[in-house]
Amino acid sequence: MKGQRTVIGIATGVALAALLIAALAPWQGSGVGVGWCKGTAGWFFIACCVGAVGVIFLGVGYYRLTGAVTSIAARLNSNLSVTAGAEGPRVLRVVAEALNARAEACAEAVQRLQSELKDLQIRSQLAEREKRHTEAILYSLRDAVIVADGSERLLMANEPAARLFGFDAAGARHQPLRDTIGSTHAEFLELLQQSGRGRTEATRRELQFTQADRPHTFDTIVSCVQESGKVSGVVAVLHDVTKEKEISQMKNDFVSHVSHELKTPLASITAYSEMLVDGEADDEETRKEFYAIIQSQAQRLNRLIEDILNISRIESGLVKVNKEQASLTILIEEQMQMIRSYAEEKQIAIISPHPIVYDQVYVDKDMMSQVIINLLSNAIKYTPAGGSVSVEMHVDETAGLARVTVTDTGVGIPEEEIGRLFGKFYRVSANNKQAKGTGLGLNLVKQIVEKVHGGRVFVTSTVGVGSTFGFELPLATAAHAAV
Amino acid sequence: MTANKVLIADDEIHIIHVVAIKLRNNGYEVVAANNGAEAYDLACREKPDIIVTDYQMPLMTGIELIEKLRKEERTRDIPVILLTARSFAISPEQQESLGVANCLSKPFSPKELLKTIQDILYQRQLALEH
Repeated sequence: MKGQRTVIGIATGVALAALLIAALAPWQGSGVGVGWCKGTAGWFFIACCVGAVGVIFLGVGYYRLTGAVTSIAARLNSNLSVTAGAEGPRVLRVVAEALNARAEACAEAVQRLQSELKDLQIRSQLAEREKRHTEAILYSLRDAVIVADGSERLLMANEPAARLFGFDAAGARHQPLRDTIGSTHAEFLELLQQSGRGRTEATRRELQFTQADRPHTFDTIVSCVQESGKVSGVVAVLHDVTKEKEISQMKNDFVSHVSHELKTPLASITAYSEMLVDGEADDEETRKEFYAIIQSQAQRLNRLIEDILNISRIESGLVKVNKEQASLTILIEEQMQMIRSYAEEKQIAIISPHPIVYDQVYVDKDMMSQVIINLLSNAIKYTPAGGSVSVEMHVDETAGLARVTVTDTGVGIPEEEIGRLFGKFYRVSANNKQAKGTGLGLNLVKQIVEKVHGGRVFVTSTVGVGSTFGFELPLATAAHAAV
Repeated sequence: MTANKVLIADDEIHIIHVVAIKLRNNGYEVVAANNGAEAYDLACREKPDIIVTDYQMPLMTGIELIEKLRKEERTRDIPVILLTARSFAISPEQQESLGVANCLSKPFSPKELLKTIQDILYQRQLALEH
């Protein structure tokens, strides 16, 4: 700007100087008024004048133009809105208006983009939160969950899945499924692959896996996730139904056993009754024999039904209990007398306990008799001919407990089955052929000793050597004696 | 004429007792076993004309007994009646493949058992004559 002003100043000065010289110079004998328009010098003079004026005008115009452009630029630097103002050439006002319009459009676009960006950020935050919630749910599930992408790579697996298939959930992310799950689970792997290829909504199958060295059954559901007609992933959920199946099987076995046990005495009752009706019992003695058998079988039937009902009542807390002070030794002796003929039939020796000075307990005598007879009966049932069953009793007065054990030289029980012996309907599978049973006897013993009398049952066993079943009961106290 | 011999296998002594009385009253000779193993030994030794066995017995079940009888030349062709207290204990296909002549559900009628034995032996007799 300074340089431009200098040039204009110089041009103006030259023009004025030329005019002055022309006016004062002696051309053709006279001053400017006479000879200023004549000759070469005169034309040169005129040209200089015109040129000077032109330069002045151009300079001024240029000066105004640069001033306006500079002003516009300065405003642009400070904000996006530009007004050309009244000063400045019209062409600049047109340019300024165009720039203004463009600047406004840009400002609107920026605002819209900022709004969209904010919207996207909010949605991203919500999606992230939803993803964390979903992951939290999946990770907290007891069922095994595996999510794979469309390329059969692991996307996500929860802890039960990692434990089931034996991999590190975090480390296995994005690894191929066949490497993660392994060839030992080929059936499951194939199910995942089939689901992805077949684009089936959901496939359900029961699969067997080994967990903690035991076979487990899993209710498996595999479904594929589709986006725009393409498979984007596969989800598998494995629910362990081993326990449910075991319970169902035990129930089925129980119903089967119970119906068999009920039908057996019923078969005798029916057969002997028919024989009597048809006159097949020739003499009075035979008839009496038949009547006695019918009666004993009816009682047997009744005992079985009572056992089932008692267990049910004890479990539901509805059983009527008549507790009184009683001698444990006497109770044991009574039941041993009852079972002696059964033992003799099988040629099994029963060894009685040594008598104890103080053996008073506060019990329901009928229930406790049931406990003792069940333990004795089992011992004889599962002991081959020629074996022995010994009953022992110990009293710990300090602890206030009486302890009874029934030890046999029978077939014994596998270690892995000992923990389940007192369960309802449970029968040792290896000993099923040795003797019949409903799987209720030991459960009834446990219910009576523990639930009704606050005692404890226990068992130890060695296969091929024998078993010791026993129970502990609190000794009767002075308070009980006063009742 | 020699009486037909029936082998009864059941771990319930009263069942053996009542069936034996019924059959003996109708001219049959009866031998009895308390379990499957004993029944197999008796079958090989006595060669009964027909066997009546319970389904569930100690040491060897009725099914295991039948399978073993079918493998032994001496007992392969002896007809067997299966007594069972379980519903659907044996399917018709299994019955046919094991060669079980008939199945009776407990509680059963001694009269019905007698009639079944008579029918089976009669059919067998006809088959042998032809």
